[in-house]
Amino acid sequence: MGALEIVNFYLVPGIVVGSIYALGAVGITLVFAILRYAHLAHGDLATLGAFLALGAVTILGVSPYVALPIAMLLTAVISVGIDKTFYAYLRERPKIVTVMASLGVALMVRSLVQVVWGVDSETYSRGIVRPENWFGIRLRDREIVTVLAMVALVLALQVFLKRSKWGKAMRAMSDNPDLALLSGVDNRKVVTLTWLIVGGLCAAAGVFLGLNYELKAMMGWTMLLPMFAAAILGGVGRIEGAVLGGLIVGIAEEMSTLFLPTEYKAATAFAILLLMLLVRPTGLLKGKVL
Amino acid sequence: MSDMLEMRQVVGGYGEADILQGVSLRAGQAEIVAIVGPNGAGKSTAMKAIFGLLNVRGGTIVVDGRDITGLEPNRIVEAGVCYVPQVDNVFREMTVHENLEMGAFLRSGDLSAAYERVYGLFPDLKERRRALAGNLSGGQRQMVAMGRALMLEPKLLLLDEPTAGLSPRYMEQIFQICRDVRDTDVTILLVEQHAKQALAFADRGYVLASGANRHEGTGAELLADREVAAMFLGG
Ligand SMILES: Nc1ncnc2c1ncn2[C@@H]1O[C@H](COP(=O)(O)OP(=O)(O)O)[C@@H](O)[C@H]1O
Ligand SMILES: [Mg+2]
Repeated sequence: MGALEIVNFYLVPGIVVGSIYALGAVGITLVFAILRYAHLAHGDLATLGAFLALGAVTILGVSPYVALPIAMLLTAVISVGIDKTFYAYLRERPKIVTVMASLGVALMVRSLVQVVWGVDSETYSRGIVRPENWFGIRLRDREIVTVLAMVALVLALQVFLKRSKWGKAMRAMSDNPDLALLSGVDNRKVVTLTWLIVGGLCAAAGVFLGLNYELKAMMGWTMLLPMFAAAILGGVGRIEGAVLGGLIVGIAEEMSTLFLPTEYKAATAFAILLLMLLVRPTGLLKGKVL
Repeated sequence: MSDMLEMRQVVGGYGEADILQGVSLRAGQAEIVAIVGPNGAGKSTAMKAIFGLLNVRGGTIVVDGRDITGLEPNRIVEAGVCYVPQVDNVFREMTVHENLEMGAFLRSGDLSAAYERVYGLFPDLKERRRALAGNLSGGQRQMVAMGRALMLEPKLLLLDEPTAGLSPRYMEQIFQICRDVRDTDVTILLVEQHAKQALAFADRGYVLASGANRHEGTGAELLADREVAAMFLGG
């Protein structure tokens, strides 16, 4: 097999799915950093975002790219609602209680999607998209958009965290929550802001997954493990780390099919996660210790 | 002249148990008041009580004529009180400048005068303004912590063991900065383990033991007190 085939059939799909994992992993790492628990409803929120975009596509007749910001906004608001309804009361309790609650939320969100949209696979648009040839490398528009959108969203987030007053408050809260409180930061506002961002990123991950593959009620849940692997691989609390981790897990999954039967693809993320926890639990870029 | 801080018979603790069994403290305008006492006496706890980080079950805390008992910490910041905890008192993954900026979180408008004032008090920090606070030495980190608290231009500054673990040179520097800050009309309440030096430098002092007042007086009075000397000052 030539280098070009490896790029076309393994590396490009790996980068695309890796970008999707990255969007999810950034959210997971933010929740870890600021709220300090593992959010297991992350995948199903992505599913919800993907189907909300489908709703916009079918009801408004817009393209998936127009539906994307709509779905991001709706999912962001729903995430804040979920936090206020289910997680806010558990803030003072041991974190494991919230982790379990998020598993319950995951099941609820998935059931809701199944009730509204059914259990069959859906797509945003019918028909086969032929990839364009770029000097032998074959890329579809949606693949290019997926990667560019991931980069743009992450850069925007980084600028927000580095430059804006409330972005700095989020970093402060992640760094030293007690001191943030002493500095007059209202932690409830930071939590709300965090969920807005996390919900939006979740929806983006879901929409791009639906755009490149298909929409299914289980799509987000199956993405949960690789997203967590990516967040931990990159270093918990590290945005750049989550992106790096997402890309590595995505590429590793696709590459694994060179050597292993495709059924083992999902196990790749698990293997990376285990290896990382054993060898370097702080992740590639030094993150928080879990 | 009315007091900046008046804490009357405060009873409270972290959970059910009362750590403070009736602590009373007062501090006048632009006064440096030191709290000394053995480990576990409740010195840090008394500060946390002022800052709303404790379940206060009795007594009142009044700052500048306003009852702040039971308010949330961010309301107490708004009332003009800033607090530098004993440990974990900087944002390690933020730069020195960002730490100061977080100190001014509740302020809006132009902060350049506030930065100038803090960098004027701590010239070392100005040089290292882009360094991560976590990479600084202990003494510099303490300066960042104090600088952060001063950004809000508080009326009352609470310092919990600002010189713990610092060399005598840094200790003298921190004390000098406290005097400079006081001279800008700020009241300072500080907890110190270096009892002798702290009492010599403070305007007045309190000795706490087992969550209650034991002695109070001017620094010189306390230093001259036989019992106090026997308790903490090494005979
Ligand atoms: N966060 C806490 N939770 C429960 N008990 C605490 C806490 N912090 C301190 N204590 C207890 O309160 C008492 C007074 O502690 P502290 O105020 O820190 O003493 P110090 O005078 O040395 O500053 C000690 O018995 C200590 O064990
Ligand atoms: Mg103490």
